[in-house]
Amino acid sequence: MARKLRKLLAGVTVNERYGNRMELVTDGQRAVSTLVVLKSSGFEHLSNITCVDWIDENRMDVTYNLWSYTHRLHAVIKAQTHRDAPEVSTALDIWPQAQVYEREIHEMFGVEFTGNPDLSPLFLHNWRDIPPLRKDFDTEEYSRRAYGVVDGVEEAGV
Amino acid sequence: MLKVSREEILDGKFERVLNFFRSRSLWMLYYCTGCGAVELPPTMTSRFDMERFGIGPMATPRQADILLVTGYVSVKTLKRIVRSYEQMPEPKWVVGFGSCPVNGGIYWKSYATINQLDRYIPVDLSLNGCMPRPQAVIDGFVNLMEMIKKGEAVGYKKYRLNYEWYKRNQAEVLERTEPVLRPGIASVAKAQETKKKISIVEGVK
Repeated sequence: MARKLRKLLAGVTVNERYGNRMELVTDGQRAVSTLVVLKSSGFEHLSNITCVDWIDENRMDVTYNLWSYTHRLHAVIKAQTHRDAPEVSTALDIWPQAQVYEREIHEMFGVEFTGNPDLSPLFLHNWRDIPPLRKDFDTEEYSRRAYGVVDGVEEAGV
Repeated sequence: MLKVSREEILDGKFERVLNFFRSRSLWMLYYCTGCGAVELPPTMTSRFDMERFGIGPMATPRQADILLVTGYVSVKTLKRIVRSYEQMPEPKWVVGFGSCPVNGGIYWKSYATINQLDRYIPVDLSLNGCMPRPQAVIDGFVNLMEMIKKGEAVGYKKYRLNYEWYKRNQAEVLERTEPVLRPGIASVAKAQETKKKISIVEGVK
């Protein structure tokens, strides 16, 4: 399968891992075309979409987890984007269930999904700061300033 | 029909009698915000049997006496808790369940959960522990009954007296207009925008 995919996808790194898994590393522009190829070669199921913030490498990886029922294979597609302006085309046309994941990632990491018509906030209430799951967001300081510190918590050395 | 004179009401005797009866029949609205909800089924059912103290579960805020907040309170939940609390008829009491409503518990660093419930609605009794066992819950309720009987549980009066303070605290969290970590950014951007608009208007002239 990996050999076949390597032939189909030029410029995408395909690594085999642990028997029935493989990892594909690509970039933001090529992510959707990679997904289209994968879906047509048997990876029918989109398990989820997540995002990993690699702050030291100044990179944001939008990660798609796919599963193939026909080949019993698991594929991870890592779309590497620039951290300052993360941008990936939407996977909505391939899998409609991507909508909720894309909305969530947009809210939590600030990744722009071009072509997605509805990226309105999903979980957070009236959020004004930078997206909270980015590594440069200081959640402790936020909690301290937004909700106050209760006496005794500091001394306990939590 | 029980007739009570004005003097008796002012005297507080009638209130004391009422408090005695109130403490014996409590309907509890359990707002299962967090993990604390798992301790409630054993507390309610035959093993520990909460009902022998006259405490029963109630489905709607309009008929409940106790609001039980079980576990961590996220900002979105806080909005609903305030709404439920304000729907409840007086007298009403709030029990904070577990360590999260007291000081944030293990979630005190979280951006999504508030740290102290007492700042937003008056908490009469806090049960700490993560989670409190059913024995601790029942012990807490017996304490609350004792407090109600003595007229010490006055959270709803506190809420009425300090309504502005509570409302201000709620609004601070729920109706935020500026970023918390870099306050002023929004207002600076706004000022720049208005400046731009002004300069455009001047340019037109």
